[in-house]
Amino acid sequence: MDDARGSHLSVLIDLSPTQWHNSAQGPPRNTYPLPLNSFLSQLLAFLNSHIASKHENTLAVFGAFPGKSVMLYSTIDPTNHDQAIDANSYPPFRLVDSTIVTRITEELEALGEPEEEAPSSLVSALIKALCYVNRVTLPSVSTTNNPADGHDPAILPDPRILVLSVSPDLSTSYIPIMNAIFSAQKLKVTIDVCQIYGPDTIFLQQAAHLTGGSYIFLERRDALLQYLIMSFLSPPSIRKILSVPTQDKVDFRAACFCHKNIVDIGFVCSVCLSIFCQPVPVCSTCRTKFPMKTLQRLNASRPLLSSSTSNASRTSPSTPQARTPTALGADTGASTTNGARSSTAPLGGLPHSGSIGNGTPRAANINGSRPGPEAR
Amino acid sequence: MSSIQPYTYAEATTPASNIPHALLPFLETQSQNTLTRLYQLPSSCLSIFRLLAPLERQLVMNLLWLESAIPASTMAAWVVREGKQQYDAALGNLARIHILPNSTVKLALNSTFKSSFRQAITGGGSSGSFGVPAVLDEKRPPLNVEGLDGYALERWETILHYMVSSGTGQHPTRPSPGVLFLLERSGLMASTYGSPLQITSAGFQFLLHSPHAQLWDLLLQYLHMAEERQMDLVEVLSFLFMLSTMELGREYSTEYLGPSQKAMLEDLRDYGLIWQRKPSSRRFSPTRLATTLTSSSPPLPTMTGTSSGPPEGFIVLETNYRIYAYTDNPLQTAVLNLFVSLKYRFPNLVVGSITRDSVKKALANGISADQIISYLITHAHPQMRKNVPLLPVTVQDQIRLWELERNRLKSQEGYLYTAFASQADYEFVLNYAKELNVVLWESTAKRCFFGTLAGHANIRGFIERRTAGGTM
Repeated sequence: MDDARGSHLSVLIDLSPTQWHNSAQGPPRNTYPLPLNSFLSQLLAFLNSHIASKHENTLAVFGAFPGKSVMLYSTIDPTNHDQAIDANSYPPFRLVDSTIVTRITEELEALGEPEEEAPSSLVSALIKALCYVNRVTLPSVSTTNNPADGHDPAILPDPRILVLSVSPDLSTSYIPIMNAIFSAQKLKVTIDVCQIYGPDTIFLQQAAHLTGGSYIFLERRDALLQYLIMSFLSPPSIRKILSVPTQDKVDFRAACFCHKNIVDIGFVCSVCLSIFCQPVPVCSTCRTKFPMKTLQRLNASRPLLSSSTSNASRTSPSTPQARTPTALGADTGASTTNGARSSTAPLGGLPHSGSIGNGTPRAANINGSRPGPEAR
Repeated sequence: MSSIQPYTYAEATTPASNIPHALLPFLETQSQNTLTRLYQLPSSCLSIFRLLAPLERQLVMNLLWLESAIPASTMAAWVVREGKQQYDAALGNLARIHILPNSTVKLALNSTFKSSFRQAITGGGSSGSFGVPAVLDEKRPPLNVEGLDGYALERWETILHYMVSSGTGQHPTRPSPGVLFLLERSGLMASTYGSPLQITSAGFQFLLHSPHAQLWDLLLQYLHMAEERQMDLVEVLSFLFMLSTMELGREYSTEYLGPSQKAMLEDLRDYGLIWQRKPSSRRFSPTRLATTLTSSSPPLPTMTGTSSGPPEGFIVLETNYRIYAYTDNPLQTAVLNLFVSLKYRFPNLVVGSITRDSVKKALANGISADQIISYLITHAHPQMRKNVPLLPVTVQDQIRLWELERNRLKSQEGYLYTAFASQADYEFVLNYAKELNVVLWESTAKRCFFGTLAGHANIRGFIERRTAGGTM
């Protein structure tokens, strides 16, 4: 289908030193320890595989460091082109490998040893990656200054972003992540997520789900490379034939705008759709005033809800069963949003993981295949 | 106007991806031994991998890092139901070039291929298959990229221009004898009784192909020839693959090349794939023709030559059959001249029109209407790309109709059976012939029918048996 042109892949690497330190710990903590260097060697093999697949494939790599995000490599403006070549490796592979490793080392050394580590800036890296995709796909600007590859770069088919995350969710980043998801949908970018270490992240799960990507929580961390290749290497056209694991369950909970807490039940402003964890008289985003009556009604109904299924809202994160999955009370002013946790995700363009094997849990096939990626 | 469209109009985005690469059928004909020797080199593995279809590439990747064979059912479980057919086809293709041995139970890559391809991905090893770079010579710096592009273009256009203007009375520069021999061998040009070479109908079709396809056409011929010239096929192939993984604008040393590969240097120099300062030089630089061998886009040096026009397209075609070509390139003008009657020439513009006669001339040369149309589409001016469909429908239709005109008469060899003794006789034989399905034409009034060549032996036998039976 889009055989003539390559596909674009942006990879985001979460490089939080604390998390990687934890990840490298031995058995009592992790069944499969994964230190940064072995992660990098597997990642580089994956990146090389992407470039190997097609001469025209493009690649961009972003690093999310604590409080800072950096572009580590991009095919369009390579940094040091004058390196020596040797007879035993393909020059582009060498260029990618050496550039990424040098840049990561530089950045990590520049970090020094701060007292307290700032949270990893995965969101800013994600937004940079989207800007980059936008830049390379935008037709008018780049035709003149991009004579190297001759053809019009406007048609970059199915750009993808792969997020390799090791950090837990940061609830303050809910709004920027949602905005990033919307721009990704607009740009038709698929976001794939691989959670390498730490708990499931709700927001990235949603990002993958909403953009038709695939979210994988890495269980067998010694088989990282095999996971990466089987699930994330194939462009969307191939995913129609060789399915990739998708999620059976997506956590759709949102974070409220007022306290940045992840809420099961939220109250949504009927004008601007801002989410709050409790009924508020005035929307903090759009300054809409809600009628006192509505507030009273919503407040009055909150504690009652856990036992009734009336059309009022409730907030009881501790009892996640028996929830009504519809937004209610929209006519009066504030309405509720439902977490819809554990609801079955509607299928997007991608095959459902149920079609892999006989309803085996996600990625079970990868485990079953006894992979043994070699560290170099 | 009738609402039925006899055929679909070609659009700007013609998907042509499902056609396997031209080299793969050639590889399929090679013995497993040859291929295994070829797979010992990481660069060959990488290049062959790139020639595979997308699904085949993904399958190879899925299996690459597995240490042991996996059950075929495990892999099949990943395939969605609608893709089963493609999946089976992909496995079959991989089995034919011995990358993935055919098995219904277990799947595992050819171990030679696996270890070499792993080495290609990770680097390392000591095969030196990606080309040994030459030591930088201060006195004689390597030719820069522009120089290489110019050289490759000049070489390539010399070949094409020679082909297109053969027999027109012009005398362009002759390519080297090696190239001429190759052209003749491949049937693109032919000489009758010692006369100078003339382009054949295959040659005309060749001219309208994309540069990438042209290059592979010639190289395939070269490979066939290499077998006859007792060259080591593995060396020849691996040298081509090595070139395709080399970096443009660098110099490589010839010291580590095998004997066949050294012999190839001269041929490839003639085709414009590599550049050497002088024939005896101990170093060579690959040109863009060589380094893009395994990529599917046409990143040859832009074929418009020195003109200032946009590189991607130069032809404007109007509904009134007028054609404006913004080019000053003699080769492009000559190619257009194949099917356009040219009217005016300006420094950067050629004007002509597509007429019945000009198209008929092209058809007589063996060019098909589809080839003309696809040539016009690939070289359409960016201004034309706004139109949907890209080429005016009237012109597309008319070119096809002109082609159909040629097909009003169809000839077929056969025998006319006539002078039957009686009507019953005639019908008896005719019925027999009809049962065999060999009747092309019949006339009851004249008591004769026409049968195909294939059916003649049967009919004749039948009549003989009958007459023999009758007299007895």
